[in-house]
Amino acid sequence: MRLRGVGRRYGLGGPWVLRGIDLELAPGSLVRVEGTNGSGKSTLLRLLAGIDAPSAGRITGRPRTAYVPERFPAELPLSARGYLVHLGRIHGLGRTAAERGAGEWLERFGAAGHADTALTELSKGSSQKVAVAQALLGAPGLLVLDEAWTGLDRAARAELDAAVAERVAAGGTVVFVDHDPRRLSGAADTVLRVADARLTPVAAHRPDASGPRPKGPEDDAGPWVAVVTEGPPGTGLPPDLPGAPRHEPLAPGRVGPGPVRLTVGAAHSDALLRALLTAHPPWHIRSVTELPVTAATPPEGP
Amino acid sequence: MTALLRYQAALLVRSQRWLSPVLLYAAFMGIAVRAGDPVLDSFGYAAAALLPVAAWLVRVCTGTEPAAARTCAAAAAGPARAHLASVLTALLGALALGTVGTLYVALIGDPHTADHRTGIPLGRATAAGLLAALACALLGTAVGALCNRPLLRGPGWAVSATAVTTLLVLVAGASPANAAVSGLVEGSHTGAVPLPLLPLAVTCLAAAGATALACALSSRRT
Repeated sequence: MRLRGVGRRYGLGGPWVLRGIDLELAPGSLVRVEGTNGSGKSTLLRLLAGIDAPSAGRITGRPRTAYVPERFPAELPLSARGYLVHLGRIHGLGRTAAERGAGEWLERFGAAGHADTALTELSKGSSQKVAVAQALLGAPGLLVLDEAWTGLDRAARAELDAAVAERVAAGGTVVFVDHDPRRLSGAADTVLRVADARLTPVAAHRPDASGPRPKGPEDDAGPWVAVVTEGPPGTGLPPDLPGAPRHEPLAPGRVGPGPVRLTVGAAHSDALLRALLTAHPPWHIRSVTELPVTAATPPEGP
Repeated sequence: MTALLRYQAALLVRSQRWLSPVLLYAAFMGIAVRAGDPVLDSFGYAAAALLPVAAWLVRVCTGTEPAAARTCAAAAAGPARAHLASVLTALLGALALGTVGTLYVALIGDPHTADHRTGIPLGRATAAGLLAALACALLGTAVGALCNRPLLRGPGWAVSATAVTTLLVLVAGASPANAAVSGLVEGSHTGAVPLPLLPLAVTCLAAAGATALACALSSRRT
């Protein structure tokens, strides 16, 4: 997806909220947008989502898109499930797939008990869960989140983080704004700052790194990352994990399956996490730690 | 588009905001159309009453969704298609109502001229009545599309503009709705049953143009 010279102003002679924006969004990337209140972040997200048309310039190659607004006071005469099934079908799902997806996403966000509640009777947090579910339901190629975490409880926020990682791992583009600077920190491939109607790239905040870390096999000599992960009972590690990690059981004396510690070159950690999270069935990530360079030992072979 | 239409139809039916325009139409028909009235005159009333009802239904359909829900559907389907679905839902609703109204007239009306002397072929008269209703529903939809979001956003402006425009297109001699209705009323005097094909073609163009303009602006005026 490409933006060329994109600008937006409201009204014919109004001031430019955004101007001269050139941007390319790659599939499988996670993009954070920063800026002060009223700087035009939401306008940028609306342009990306296709809700607003640019007043100048062109946007091309937009994939199937879903959008989550910051507040979702949906005064609609439908139940949560009914609304999600309608939106699922608008996203192009068949009836059965939409019904199954509606149930699954409400369940993931802990709102399955409200499936048949009228939208008008839902609390603010539960409404927000419905808003998030409608966007994830259609597995969109572009997911635009305008402070979508606001109003969600802690478990649902974590679930949304996981869902965003899944979208990115599946090759989708996710663009988000959130007031919490730690939101998905380290995972964002690009950070963009909106100020004075312009868009400037900012170095992504990665822990212990001043700028984006170069990726590639030569980086194997660099720092190591330990990932503690746990699979469903009775399943072995997924084959062909990226970066060929060294693995050791965390509790060697324990009977049966337990957490496994994987050590991998830092450059491969994102890909490794993606592979674990998207395995069938998915693996649960318990912790990710960057090992100090001196303490890390090269793998002795997988 | 089917999924969008189904969604908009569910919103319209469940919101119960269709009730006021439908009651208006029913009340008008109850007063203006009586059993044994000349059928072509009654077809004219049934068609004319449909015009404000169609405009009102467009207002209902384009205004039911709160902004947050509208943006979600617009991102999924495109704002123009989402807006088109809401206008089409209103038109389909008006057409359903107009069909019921016209068939009701065909059942209770007297298939004779206004002086009750000359007989009128009921089949052809009903066809003319349905076409006139279609023309009025289309022109009402065009008025509704132009007098509501995204072109006019304040409720005060929107409602007064709808009322004035509706009245104008009903009484102005050059209006295709007026032509379709007066064709029926004249037929009731002469005994000839003209099919209002030219007015229908003009209202088709008007509805398509007005809706296309509203849809094109739906992502520009937000």
